[in-house]
Amino acid sequence: MTGVTIERLGDAALVVRSPLARELLADLTARPLPGVREAVPALDVLTVLYDPLRVDAGGLSAALRERLARLRPGGEANARTHVLPVTFGGPDLGWCACQAGLSVSDFVRALCGTPLTVAFLGFTPGFAFLAGLPGRLRMPRLSAPRERVPAGSVALGGPWAGVYPRETPGGWRLVGHTDAVLFDPWRPEPVLWQAGDRVRFEVRA
Amino acid sequence: MMEVRRPGLQTTVQDTGRRVRALGVPGGGAADPLALRLANALVGNPPGAAALEVTLAGPALRFGADALVALCGAPFEATLAGSPFPPWRAVPVRAGQTLDLGGAARGARAVLAVRGGLEGQEAFGSRSTDLRTGFGGLEGRALRAGDRIGWFPLPPAKPPRAFVSPELRTPTGPHHILRVLPTAEATPDLLAALTGRPFTVSGQADRMGARLGEAVPAPHDPNRISLPNVPGGVQLPPDGRPILLLPDAGTHGGYPTPLALASVDLPRLGQLRPGDRVWLRVVSPEEARAALWHRERAVRGAELALRWWYKET
Repeated sequence: MTGVTIERLGDAALVVRSPLARELLADLTARPLPGVREAVPALDVLTVLYDPLRVDAGGLSAALRERLARLRPGGEANARTHVLPVTFGGPDLGWCACQAGLSVSDFVRALCGTPLTVAFLGFTPGFAFLAGLPGRLRMPRLSAPRERVPAGSVALGGPWAGVYPRETPGGWRLVGHTDAVLFDPWRPEPVLWQAGDRVRFEVRA
Repeated sequence: MMEVRRPGLQTTVQDTGRRVRALGVPGGGAADPLALRLANALVGNPPGAAALEVTLAGPALRFGADALVALCGAPFEATLAGSPFPPWRAVPVRAGQTLDLGGAARGARAVLAVRGGLEGQEAFGSRSTDLRTGFGGLEGRALRAGDRIGWFPLPPAKPPRAFVSPELRTPTGPHHILRVLPTAEATPDLLAALTGRPFTVSGQADRMGARLGEAVPAPHDPNRISLPNVPGGVQLPPDGRPILLLPDAGTHGGYPTPLALASVDLPRLGQLRPGDRVWLRVVSPEEARAALWHRERAVRGAELALRWWYKET
């Protein structure tokens, strides 16, 4: 199958690069492969963590290729839409509007009018990498990350939009704040969203 | 039930951790997983039972009931009711006695297992404490004076006279040779810079990662897409001071990761303490595998012998 590479990452993980990474994750979740501990997605990437005492890289790599060869691009049957009320006005809002060549209100309108998709979860519990920003809304990351970004910050970094679930260091541009609870380990579904879900920001009334 | 008289520097409930990185939740778990495994085996627990992980300066714990405990890991000074407390073996504790752990001359962490395994909040299949987000273990935080922690009941058992052989113990500092495997992000220049010299463990060393003190020329690609991190990944941030990733590291990272530690040396990360010297040595996947199997056979031998003891008594 074309467009697939598999690299070693240490002696207990393989990095699978494929446009079908998300489908492979679903497949491995439904039908686990022996010795595989976890599979962690990123954009068109699935990192497969395995027990090196149970399987070797060569055998696992062959099994993963075989799985991929039988997969087809999946629909987003379970996709939900999340509308997040945002209070715009982060420390970088003016800078971002300027960078986009827009007034602040036009910038906010453009961002709220952009349908986003959860590409994958990661970085910190509940954080989602939101894809779909058009070129002019894509903001360069800060050259030096902030030590503390407040929980609920709505941020733009490179091709991504995101919301910080809790206070962390962070290098993205902050444009607003939401009260949405993205992660609560005691909820039946601890994480608000999943890969494939659609997301829209709206101005908090 | 035990009561925390003095919490120590950072004492947390840890087990073997979680497997939900796909949700952005760090793996967590004991930073020296070998110490956890051996301490649990010594008291007849399953390998993944929750225990206390103590860091640099230990706690004082007063036991409210009889218990069987084992302390494995860095050589902490310890007394039980004022008398020297032997590590690396199962020791009965009587109700009312206080186990007092001091400091360790070498290494950073030890694990105190209690027969039955500790109670504690379970989240995503693990009782490990996630300090950053604040869940698991004891309300997601380190112990404080006055806290009470219980353990699950198991039939009392006579402790084996055995102790864990020194060859099985995770080596402690101050000098560490860590075996590493180059990743697809390793260039010849980076490899030479990272493996050709010793590094010092800086003061920035916690359960997320251990920052090394010296810088190497680092490639800087602000457009590198975040990729999943693996335990033992060696990240290179723009300032060039490498970070060795520990169990509480974020699940994804945007920094190049030119090296990953061989699995066999992961427990050693938990014993790095500020000021220790670290050499990174490249090994082949075959060497890494052989070293892991060599140790695994020995550890399984010890576990089997101890399981046999608890079954027979």
